[in-house]
Amino acid sequence: MDIKSILAATLSFGDKVSISLTTLLTGFAVVFSVLILLIVIIIILGKVISTAQNKSKKNSSEVEKKPVTVKTQSPKPTTAKKITSDGIPEEIIAVIAAAVDSTYGTGKVRIAGIKKSRSYGGRSAWGQAGVMNNTRPF
Amino acid sequence: MEIINGFFEGVTGLLQSSGFVSISWQNYVMIGISFVLLYLAIGKEYEPLILLPLAFGMLLVNLCPGIMGAPTTEFVPEAEYLKTHDVTTQSVQYAVTVIDGQRFYSVPEYGGLLYYLYQGVKMGIYPPLIFLGIGAMTDFGPLIANPKSFILGAAAQIGIFITFIGAIFLGFKSKEAGAIGIIGGADGPTAIFVTTKLAPDLLGPIAVAAYSYMALVPIIQPPIMKLVTTKKERMIKMEQLRPVSKLEKIIFPIVVTVLVALLLPDAAPLVGMLMLGNLMKESGVVDRIAKTAQNELMNIVTIFLGTTVGATAKGAVFLQLGTIKIIVLGLIAFCFGTLFGVLFAKLMSVLDHGKTNPLIGSAGVSAVPMAARVSQKVGQLDNPTNYLLMHAMGPNVAGVIGSAVAAGVLISLLG
Repeated sequence: MDIKSILAATLSFGDKVSISLTTLLTGFAVVFSVLILLIVIIIILGKVISTAQNKSKKNSSEVEKKPVTVKTQSPKPTTAKKITSDGIPEEIIAVIAAAVDSTYGTGKVRIAGIKKSRSYGGRSAWGQAGVMNNTRPF
Repeated sequence: MEIINGFFEGVTGLLQSSGFVSISWQNYVMIGISFVLLYLAIGKEYEPLILLPLAFGMLLVNLCPGIMGAPTTEFVPEAEYLKTHDVTTQSVQYAVTVIDGQRFYSVPEYGGLLYYLYQGVKMGIYPPLIFLGIGAMTDFGPLIANPKSFILGAAAQIGIFITFIGAIFLGFKSKEAGAIGIIGGADGPTAIFVTTKLAPDLLGPIAVAAYSYMALVPIIQPPIMKLVTTKKERMIKMEQLRPVSKLEKIIFPIVVTVLVALLLPDAAPLVGMLMLGNLMKESGVVDRIAKTAQNELMNIVTIFLGTTVGATAKGAVFLQLGTIKIIVLGLIAFCFGTLFGVLFAKLMSVLDHGKTNPLIGSAGVSAVPMAARVSQKVGQLDNPTNYLLMHAMGPNVAGVIGSAVAAGVLISLLG
């Protein structure tokens, strides 16, 4: 008896065993097959992309050899290592440093100073960013 | 005297149509259950986003069953209708039906509010829309960085099929058993989607069971996780995941959609919308739409879905032996899902010489991100410096894809 006939009929014990094992095996096999296939594809994809990106990095290695120094609006960074904090709490400095690091890559930039930005037109920088984000056309 | 009689008639009519007279004891029990769920949502904050509207929908439908009432058509004899209506000035003209030579106006009676909102559940619209929002909120980075996590997402689905067998032998029909088994996927929208396709009559108990167990993940999973792992295994620190490029994150949803939709068309609505949401997020070119999917759309659909699914739990339908069986089977499904996830993670740990912490396996049962948080929390009990969260997010999001694939298998096989 095929599975569709079993579904339509009242189930005997044998039918119950049959449909149970069929569903278990099919479900197990299909779910694992699809997800294993995805694993293989993602691994291959990851390798292809990293190889391609490594190649492009090599091509632009000369440019990357020179670390970019990002100077923010700090008026006078006192020393090379110490960040001018402008009264900003250490946690905020850590967050900004992490964001800069994440954007430009580890060790490629040096934060010379951090300064609170003034508000323009009655709005803070965050407020302005919000307005721009919400009014940006499709 | 007439005024007093009219007054008494009015009050009597109101009392007779009130809930005190019209609702049964089953409704009162369900009202009590809805209060418990409201307490869990508000007092304990267990999945409040879904549990609160769900409990309130349950409360509403048991107080006023008509709120889920389907529309009907009343045949009013033409002569009687014309006594109270002037059809020449009436803006709406109703169809006239002739039965045995007598003419009747087909006057529609509209359904209850929740009946109309429920159509999104019935037609399988809300669950994929919820998946769109989930996709727009999900970072598949940990899964792409460690694709082996997919195995754990698949292993945790075994509970679905084992529970299917249990349900069959407990006397449920095949389609009903499939819908009950999917509770083990620990994914509310998937459970609702499958149930509407296979056994719409069981939607109330299955949805309530699925969301209740999802809310109870922090209570259900830890004992199973501890039972099958040693302290040494739980203390394993996993290596930091590799960074994932933006290009990989963009290609991932496209690849998954193409593959799953080709192999399992029945899973396409869920996986397709999940991946569309994710592509909107990762591409970075449609920020506004992605944010709408994450916030406004997701919130609106959650309100509609939660309230109307709760409203399917009418006393007379819900308070049956079958519901208790479903609740028990759902728990079994959930426990087996967790168990197999952890066992496969243990196997993986043996194969990679102790690089995988078996605790991340339990996160394979979807329930994003609660299940991953449980892995993190249980891991930190034995090793406070252990951070498993990002490692557990891999199997966790793989579980979402896995349960959608399992749903596709069940619909295709049993539907």
